[in-house]
Parts: sequence; C-alpha cells; structure tokens
Amino acid sequence: MSEHPETPVPPQEDGELDRRGFLARASAYAMGAGLVTSYGCFAAMAGRYLYPARPAPKAWMYVAEVAGFGVGSSLTYTAPDGATVAVARQKSAGNVDDFIALSSTCPHLGCKVHWEGQNQRFFCPCHNGVFDPSGAPVSGPPFEAGQSLPRFPLRIEGGLLYIEVGLEGLPTGEE
Amino acid sequence: MGISSWLKERIPVSGDQLRELTNEPVPNHLRHWWFCLGGTPAYLFVIQIVTGILLAFYYEPSSRTAYNSVKYITDEAAYGWYFRSVHKWGATLMIAAVILHQMRVFFTGAYRKPRELNWMIGMCLLLLTLIAGFTGYSLVYEQLSYWGTTVGANIGASVPVVGDLSKQMLLGGETYNERTLSRLYIIHAAILPVLTIVLLGLHITLIRLQGVSELKFSSEKEGEPAHFNFFPDHLLTEIKIGLVLMILLSVLATVLPATLGPRADPLSTPEVIKPEWFFYVAFRWLKLFSGTFAVITTGFIVFTMFVWPFIDSFLRRRKGLEEASVWVGILAVLSIVGLTVWEAAVAH
Ligand code: HEM
Ligand code: FES
Repeated sequence: MSEHPETPVPPQEDGELDRRGFLARASAYAMGAGLVTSYGCFAAMAGRYLYPARPAPKAWMYVAEVAGFGVGSSLTYTAPDGATVAVARQKSAGNVDDFIALSSTCPHLGCKVHWEGQNQRFFCPCHNGVFDPSGAPVSGPPFEAGQSLPRFPLRIEGGLLYIEVGLEGLPTGEE
Repeated sequence: MGISSWLKERIPVSGDQLRELTNEPVPNHLRHWWFCLGGTPAYLFVIQIVTGILLAFYYEPSSRTAYNSVKYITDEAAYGWYFRSVHKWGATLMIAAVILHQMRVFFTGAYRKPRELNWMIGMCLLLLTLIAGFTGYSLVYEQLSYWGTTVGANIGASVPVVGDLSKQMLLGGETYNERTLSRLYIIHAAILPVLTIVLLGLHITLIRLQGVSELKFSSEKEGEPAHFNFFPDHLLTEIKIGLVLMILLSVLATVLPATLGPRADPLSTPEVIKPEWFFYVAFRWLKLFSGTFAVITTGFIVFTMFVWPFIDSFLRRRKGLEEASVWVGILAVLSIVGLTVWEAAVAH
C-alpha cells in the first residue's frame, strides 16, 4: 500500500515522531535557505553589475602660466569633456588661492548656467537661479539652499596653473 | 476528420466551457460607457506595445545615434511619423485614461473592502505609466529630453537615503553619460512593459474573482436582471470603444504629429524647460517648496493615495466623517487641475 513512506502513520512513540518531524522541517528549511542564498547571490551579482562601474575619469590639465595671468583677469577654459570653465585670478599672492575655476553646472538640479555680461552675473534658466561673479548664490533656489557654483580643483606646479577636469563627455552637435 | 474535431482532440475544450470561463456577469451600470474607462488604458497599452515594437526597429539607443534615428523614423521611414505620433498620443491618452479611471473608482467608492488590494495595484499601474512616459520622452534625445532627464534624476537624488543610489542606477553614473540612454531604453521598452503586464494580469484576475462592484441607478426598475453577459455584449462595447480610440489616435497623429526639437546639447540648457504635461503638477510643487521638503511631501501624498482605502474605512466609522472621502477627492482633483494649469500658463 505505502508508496509514500510518510503516508501510513503507525502508532509510534513520541520520540520517533519528533525526530521525523524535525528532519522534515529541517530539510525544508535547508532547502529554503539554499534557494534564497543561490537566487539571492544571483540578484546581488546583477545589482553589482548594474551599479555604475567607475566614476568618470578625470585628469590634471594645463590651463595657463601663472606669471602671465593678471590679477582681475579671467579666461574660459574648455575641458576635454566639453565643460566650459570660467577661470579667474582674484589676488596676487602667487599661490593657488589667487585663482577660482567655476563650473557652469548649477548646484540646484544640474542645469547649465550662463554668464550674463550686462548684468555681471551667472543665470540658471531652469528655476531662475542667480550667482555673482565669484559663484556665490544671489537669488533663486540655490540662494535659498545656500549652494554656490561648484569649483574645479586647481594646482600650481613650476609656475604653471593646472586644473582637474573630466575627460569623457557626451558628443555635441551632429555626428 | 474535419478540422474542428482535429482541433478538439488536441485542445480539449468546448465552446460552452469557453463561454463559461469568460462569461462573467457584468453589472448593468457598465452599459454606460463612462464606466468602461478601465478597459481604455488596457487597450491603449496594447497600442503602445505594437507601435513601440515598430519604433524599436529603427530606434538606436546611444547618444550618438538616438536623435538621428528618431529623425529617420519621423522624416524618412514610410509611415514612421504616423507610428511615432500614435505612440506619443497613445501615451498621452493612456495617462489621461488611467487618471479618469482612477477618479471613477474613487468617486464611486469602488476601492472599498474587499477591493483595497486592487486599488493598490492600480496605483502601481499609474506610477508605471508615468515612469514610462518619463523614460519614453527621454529617448528622443532632443534638448528637453536631455534636460528633463537630468533635472528628473537630480530631483530623485534629493530623496533622503535612497536618492543617490536611485540616480546612479537610472543614469548609470554620477551624471548623464554614454551609457545612460541604453539604460533608459531597456527600462522603457522591456522592464516597465513586463511589470505592467504582470500587474494588469493581477488587476484583471482580482476583478474576475471579486466581480465588478455593483451600482444601482434610480432609473432602473426593480426586478429587472441586474447583469448582462460579458460575451458578447460587453465585449462589443469594448470593441466599439477600441475603434473610437483608434480613430481618435489617428486623427490626433495626423493633425498634431509628434515634432522633433533641437538635438540635446549637454553644454547649454534651453531658456525654458518643462516636463511633459502630466508632470506639471509635480514640477509646480517642486518650484513652490524647497527641494527636500517638496520631495518628501510628494512621497507622502503618493503614500496616502496608496493606503487611502484604509484611511477611508477608518474615517467612515467616525460620526460626521462618512462622506469625507468625496470632499478629499474633490479637493485633490481641484488642486491637481489648479497646479497643472498654473504650470502651463507661466514660462518659469
Ligand atoms: C507603457 C506604455 C508606454 C508608454 C506610456 C510609452 C511612452 C512613450 C513616450 C511618451 C515616448 C516619446 C515619444 C516621442 O516624443 O516621440 C516613447 C518613445 C519610445 N517608445 Fe514608448 N511607451 C510605452 C511602451 C513602449 C514599448 C512597449 C516599447 C517597445 C517595445 C516602446 C518603445 C519606444 C521607443 C523605441 C521610443 C523612441 C522613439 C520615439 O521617440 O519615437 N514604448 N514612449
Ligand atoms: S537647476 Fe539651476 S536653479 Fe534649478
């Protein structure tokens, strides 16, 4: 009669039943744990695969000679990734703190600000953010949140000014 | 042996059994077409799949090729402009239909016990449709697609705790990069449709299991049968609605075809940026309040909508609050319409 070993349950001592019950339950748990671990492992690997592999590569690039960079003057530097950077010299101490290099990426939600010559300010068209020439917020959401325009790291070496910028950008214009 | 008996041997189901399986009794109020709005998003979803697959034949998801491939679809491929425009209008109508359907369910109280779970599934379907609209628009890679995606991802990033991770996962990096479009594409054309199909299946299964909730009109006489048959009566109604939708879509696609703005330029943001109309509400809200506060309140509102059936049942047990849900609903609709119109009316 008994094709399945567990179907007929002859009267047994309690110890016997407990052991069977325990074994059945333990193997069910073990199987569940095995399934969770293996598929969980797969899911974790997929998660890691989808998580961006590396930050965008950056490098130190040459900008200008410090000696030829007059106090109060500024220039527009174009990085290999296409970003335009406003570099200005504000002091004459001769060290790197003389210089600022402003990013044109708005600290609010990432739009591009542009320089408005007649108003002497940077303007962000997305939510009317305004920044003064040193990148400090003047009005709009960046002002409310106290966010300045981000600055690029600068370095002076052998009388030359270097900037750390991104190397890879999206293609612009028609291909 | 005839074909029909050949088939019957291999697929052992009879016409009667089939009728039995599909013939759910449909309550009489579904004779009114405005109660059939639930079928509309489902029909439009099928249209989106068909036109989406057609678009995918020529669409090339990379920042170098996307814009030109959409241009090719629009200007050169035979009837490409038509399929693209139907896909675009289909998305618009689908979102409108989901919202109308949800309003119908809300104001008739059809989300009440035992249908709370189906309301929550419906909420998921609403969110999936909105995300499909967002990711779809980003694929065109025109200026507004690009900046909309950037701003959208940064709004996501201001969500506490999971914000930065979700932005990284969406963009495949800190900012929009070479690998972003293929992500948006696979989310748009594979993940969201599959999730939608699964949830639609659950949604419809639950409707079948629970039956459509009943409504009585005063014009109905007592003693008349309260139901009619799904097959063929209700199916015919749905077929008619489908045809009307197809005509509407074709007219819209022809009269107001999808346009193509300037190509995305990561180095300059256009003077006026706006999301698509169905995000005007959220966009205006985000402009009214500071970043994190706006994001948290938006999350809170969506959460409230999710669990509304439970809030409602709590309210209905209080004296004097039995009808509160109607007033909350009216207030919500008015605010949504108000914020949308406000955003539409101004440039910034
Ligand atoms: C859940 C339903 C869907 C919605 C709401 C939706 C929405 C959209 C929207 C709003 C656009 C931008 C249209 C434009 O401005 O030209 C779009 C583009 C696109 N969609 Fe969908 N879509 C859906 C399903 C699908 C499916 C299932 C596929 C493919 C299997 C697909 C493939 C595409 C492709 C290739 C594009 C880019 C080409 C173009 O812009 O014309 N979509 N979608
Ligand atoms: S992104 Fe610049 S003000 Fe909002």
